[in-house]
Amino acid sequence: MIERLSFLWPEIALFATTCLVMVVGLSKHLGTRKLAVWIAGAGLLVALFLSAASTPHLTQAACPFSGTVFSEPVTAKSGQLLLPEMVPFAKCLIAIVGIMMLPLLSGTVDRLEEEAIAKGARTYDALRMNRAEFWAFFLFSLTGLMLCAGADDLIWLFLALELTSLPTYIMVAISTSRNQSREAGVKYFFLGAMGAAVFLFGFALLYGGTGTTNFNEMAAHFHERGINAIALVGIMMSILGLGFKIAAVPMHFYTPDVYQGGASQVSAFLAFVPKTAGFLGLLLICSTFGWNYEPGAVVAADNAGLASVSGAITQSPWGTHLPEPVRLMLWVIAALTMTVGNVLAILQSSVKRTLAYSSIAHSGYMLVGLIAGPGDGSFTQNGVSAVLFYLLAYGVMNVGAFAAIAALERRKGSEEPREIDSFDDIRGLCATHPVAGWSLVICSLSLLGLPPLLGFFGKLPLFTSAINAGEIVLVVVLGINSAIAAFYYLRLAFLPLTETADASVERPVFTPYRGRRVAGLVSAGGVVALAIFAGDLMQQASKAGTVTKPAAVTEQLVRDPATPVTPLADAGAR
Amino acid sequence: MTHHLTMLETLTSLAVAAGEGHAGGAGAMREAPQWVLAIALLPFAAFLLNGVCAALKVRNQFPAWLTIGTLATSFGLTLYLFLNYFTGADRAPMHVHGFEWIHFQWGATEAQTFISNFAFYIDGLTCLWILFVTGLATLIALYSSEYMNHDVGLGYCRFFAAFSLFVFSMLVLVMADNLLLMFLGWEGVGLCSYLLIGYFYKKPAAVAAAKKAFIINRIGDLGLLMAIFSAYGIFGTVEYSKIFAMVAANADGAGNLLSVNTWAGIVLPLLLTAGAFGKSAQLFFYVWLPDAMEGPTPVSALIHAATMVTAGVFLIARLYPVYTIDPALTILTLVAWCGAITAFWAATIEMAIFDIKRVMGYSTISQLGFMFAGLGLLSPTGAAFHTFTHAFFKATLFLGVGAVMHGFGGQLDLRRLSGVAWMRGFGLVGIAMLIGSINLSGVPFTAGFFSKDMILAQGFTTPSTMIGGAQIVAWILLITAGMTAYYTFRTFFRVYTGPKEFNPGDDAELLDLGRHPKGTNLEQWHKEHGHGHGHGHGHDHSHDHGHAHDHGAGSVADRRLQTRIDFDPTTEEFDPHPPGWAMKAAILACMLCSILAAGLYFMKTAGPGAEHGGWVGSMIHPSSAHFASPEFGKTATHMGQPHEPAAFFGQDAHKLMYYVSAGVGLIGILIAAFLHGPKGWQGLFIGNRVIAEKSRADGLINLFGPITKVARNKWYVDEIYDAIIVKPLHVLSHIFHLIDQYIVDGIVNLCGAIPRWIGKALRPTQSGEIHGYAIGMAGGVAVLLVLVFVLTS
Repeated sequence: MIERLSFLWPEIALFATTCLVMVVGLSKHLGTRKLAVWIAGAGLLVALFLSAASTPHLTQAACPFSGTVFSEPVTAKSGQLLLPEMVPFAKCLIAIVGIMMLPLLSGTVDRLEEEAIAKGARTYDALRMNRAEFWAFFLFSLTGLMLCAGADDLIWLFLALELTSLPTYIMVAISTSRNQSREAGVKYFFLGAMGAAVFLFGFALLYGGTGTTNFNEMAAHFHERGINAIALVGIMMSILGLGFKIAAVPMHFYTPDVYQGGASQVSAFLAFVPKTAGFLGLLLICSTFGWNYEPGAVVAADNAGLASVSGAITQSPWGTHLPEPVRLMLWVIAALTMTVGNVLAILQSSVKRTLAYSSIAHSGYMLVGLIAGPGDGSFTQNGVSAVLFYLLAYGVMNVGAFAAIAALERRKGSEEPREIDSFDDIRGLCATHPVAGWSLVICSLSLLGLPPLLGFFGKLPLFTSAINAGEIVLVVVLGINSAIAAFYYLRLAFLPLTETADASVERPVFTPYRGRRVAGLVSAGGVVALAIFAGDLMQQASKAGTVTKPAAVTEQLVRDPATPVTPLADAGAR
Repeated sequence: MTHHLTMLETLTSLAVAAGEGHAGGAGAMREAPQWVLAIALLPFAAFLLNGVCAALKVRNQFPAWLTIGTLATSFGLTLYLFLNYFTGADRAPMHVHGFEWIHFQWGATEAQTFISNFAFYIDGLTCLWILFVTGLATLIALYSSEYMNHDVGLGYCRFFAAFSLFVFSMLVLVMADNLLLMFLGWEGVGLCSYLLIGYFYKKPAAVAAAKKAFIINRIGDLGLLMAIFSAYGIFGTVEYSKIFAMVAANADGAGNLLSVNTWAGIVLPLLLTAGAFGKSAQLFFYVWLPDAMEGPTPVSALIHAATMVTAGVFLIARLYPVYTIDPALTILTLVAWCGAITAFWAATIEMAIFDIKRVMGYSTISQLGFMFAGLGLLSPTGAAFHTFTHAFFKATLFLGVGAVMHGFGGQLDLRRLSGVAWMRGFGLVGIAMLIGSINLSGVPFTAGFFSKDMILAQGFTTPSTMIGGAQIVAWILLITAGMTAYYTFRTFFRVYTGPKEFNPGDDAELLDLGRHPKGTNLEQWHKEHGHGHGHGHGHDHSHDHGHAHDHGAGSVADRRLQTRIDFDPTTEEFDPHPPGWAMKAAILACMLCSILAAGLYFMKTAGPGAEHGGWVGSMIHPSSAHFASPEFGKTATHMGQPHEPAAFFGQDAHKLMYYVSAGVGLIGILIAAFLHGPKGWQGLFIGNRVIAEKSRADGLINLFGPITKVARNKWYVDEIYDAIIVKPLHVLSHIFHLIDQYIVDGIVNLCGAIPRWIGKALRPTQSGEIHGYAIGMAGGVAVLLVLVFVLTS
């Protein structure tokens, strides 16, 4: 138990910070209240450090595809993850993007209240203030996200997913004081509950089909006996339900409405956090049956004896694809998701809605990597690491795009200021507001995948891994969609850059929250700077994308090739 | 030892070299210390610092001194490298690894990799080149510090940044250990050349010249790029040492016989030659170099005379082994012929034009022709020696011309200047021009004489069985040598001797008419602004005669001589402006170098090959320029048994050539003296010129009639290119434009419309109603599940 805990230190740190922030944020003194965001930042930094320091759950030696096959016996029977190296990488990327979002989210809530207090029009009333809740929910959500990465069990995964999502519903609802936000929050909540119901149903069926909730045992079951009908329906429902988190067709409907209803900075949060949770969940589910799915291979190998197996494994007797129904469904979802996202995005006149639809399209791109699978493990062939790297890239560049519109507003009287939203508002932005304008330009070009920016390096392995996996048609679809995306991304890039603002319209002004501009700058800088270090990041991602065989399978092959172990017996032994 | 024997040794040493594969043997490499990298990286640092200066808006001479200091350090390191590693008996190539630059791997085997490191391969050839590149760059930077004075500020920073970047690129070009890194330097020098030609970017002629240089170089670069692809295709590597080893083993990357591989033997060197000819302004490609004289004169001296344009010579010398793969030496024959024809062709133009800077430009083309002919005639040592000496004496000449431009408001017309050497402050310039001119003319006992002689003599001794028509090539070169002497001294006699007479150039007049600030003393103004904007001008006559394409000096405006030196200096007349100490020091140093270079021919060193070509021979013999494939060795030993070199009128060509070329040179000078020399001793007592504008040669012009006119207009090559290449391309581009507008755009718009239609069809699904969304989600789940089950079961 205690060694289990040792992998949870980042989450524990974040949780402790959350509690602290909740209390500090309620202070009567403005200075103390303002401290909450700094504490949250410090907590995230600690979590980042702890994540980077944590060792993966399994040494490379036990990975059958790492070259040193079976050279060392597997030490842990259970409690070992199928994607062991993913955990520290995912947690680091969550912490990094979380830190980038902190300045972006500054001043989201309580603006009118604080102004009233500052003017002396109202006294401090803890019940009317949302700051503490907002930051606490922010941290809760990130904690849940980190927990998703380390999940080794269906129940854990479900709880982590819900911990990620539930705070976001409220964050949307309180992000502005307008009714639009509340409507968006409620919509998001109801539809989210429905999505959760779908994958929860899927999880239940998975348990019913395999008799276990542990991914490792589930994997052993699948490899020995194949996927039975109940489990298959379970897998599909799980994937469809998780599709809500990543805003994939047919669960994508909520996206534009919710993104538009919430404040831009919260939309940026929504574009990253649930999407990451969804992809982590999808990767975990897919790793149970694996990208080299071939039921019965282990049993056949047992009969042939160990020696032939170890030779045979290098020749990949496991097949080369996901199980066909799963592959087909993911294929259809991926193709539809990117197409629907992109074609609807080009029709929009609102920047936020465009970004919302484009967020759908990006999920579609990443699904291609999911379908491609780990390949031979090298970065260009590894779809899993491509997905992980793309999550990082998307997290970074997405912040800048939203920050540009979050940083500007128009204000009339004492009303809550309205952030800019239409394409007309961003016309000539580079001249009038260079910081916001340039971060929008750079991030849009990166989102488009223009070399040499980060987005290009994110998209490239998606293409190469899919080509390597033989998904040529899907690659063509991906290419066409990238071209369609150019239509609106170039508009986002060139309106601020080349056109001049309409003089008759009142110009927007910067919000008093400098952090949002800073977030845009950091994001744009990151898009450029990380591209320079893309090589190292890719290596990290490539390591993170290592997929291992289930412990039961490897163990059985190593220890006792003669007597096959049934999964139920295995479960019982535990 | 007779030169007869020397020749035999040259050929056999090539063959022996091939047999041992000494230059290619990887085992023979020496490891160079890491500081060698600094030779190239220091100028790069200077480039960055100059950029910082520009950002900080430095408004003094600091950028110049920064550049001079860095380049001098670089030169010091080079000298140290030379003295420590290239003076002893061991002359094996050196290697130093900087960092891993490009490393692609797409499989496990070695053939599935592409490696191009930032690493240097330094043999005698490289060492020779970096010595004069860093040395001359330092001197010319010193010269520029004064010459560019009028532009102190942003322009000054820009100039020295590009200057430093150029030196960095040139050093990378010659020091690279693989073709790709060499190409980086190659493109770098091209870029800097473009930037510096177009330095006066407000001047249309300069911008046009910069574009012309860049575009014509691109055509050559295409050849070079394809050559690199081919080399990788043939050898499976772009690293020199590996390529040389394979040539020595007569096997390509896959182990097949190399000498029967037409691609390796003919196509690869042909493509390389295209690149070399583009950069070095040879036949068909040379048109950019005369126009490049629009750049500031120090730039012309360094880039367009001494260093960058010799990159093509370097390229062929570096990859000489590849040129010898083909047993018939087809491409070397081609190089020899093209070099000789270019040399002759350019010389005819030089004899007719009046613009002294362009005379130098064409003269560079002509001399580069000599170098290529030397390479083609199997005398890489001669070619390298001529490159080395030419670098110094041509730089001297250019710096001298620059001093004249600097002093006379950009005046370059030799009919409007006379007796410059006698004017106050221009004495040194006159001496320097004389030294440069006797070198260029090949007057005996000058460096230029010995280096040109090596090429000429080799031409008469190389058997026609190896290089087809070698003797004809040599005859062309010999005639050209005479013409060279004539046009060089034509300029010298016209501009530097005779009655003192001058007219300020357009720059000065422009100042007087338009930009001269009211109420200030002109002399004061000149002092402050260093005599005018854009000393690289001198050529913008287009407002006079309206021919935008005609940059020739033959079209100078027909204006009366207005200014004489004996005019009253108190009036607001133009006052010549002698060079200052920095310019003088640089001119003096270059001049001394070109005198001293003659001694190199006699210098005996410890290394091999010193008996042929002295010091330069000892540098070149152990380098790749003197290494041939085994097939070449066979040809060399089989042909013409017993070794009887072709005689020149029954005499030993090497011996006789000293006298013949000396005689030809002196005859050229005498003709120049007769036609252009002033009256009295200054014109060797045979000239009779009394004013700047007219000489005996004017009568000759009538004699030759249209030929002079055609030559003066550069044989209308620019116009011909315009008619056969540029105009058709224009027409074609218009046609393509129409196709693009009506057909391609139509299709593209249609494609663009499709996503819109889909989007419009999908739009109603986003109604904003929550129950609609819920139904959509549930329905979608159901449809997908059913779909998948139907399709998979």
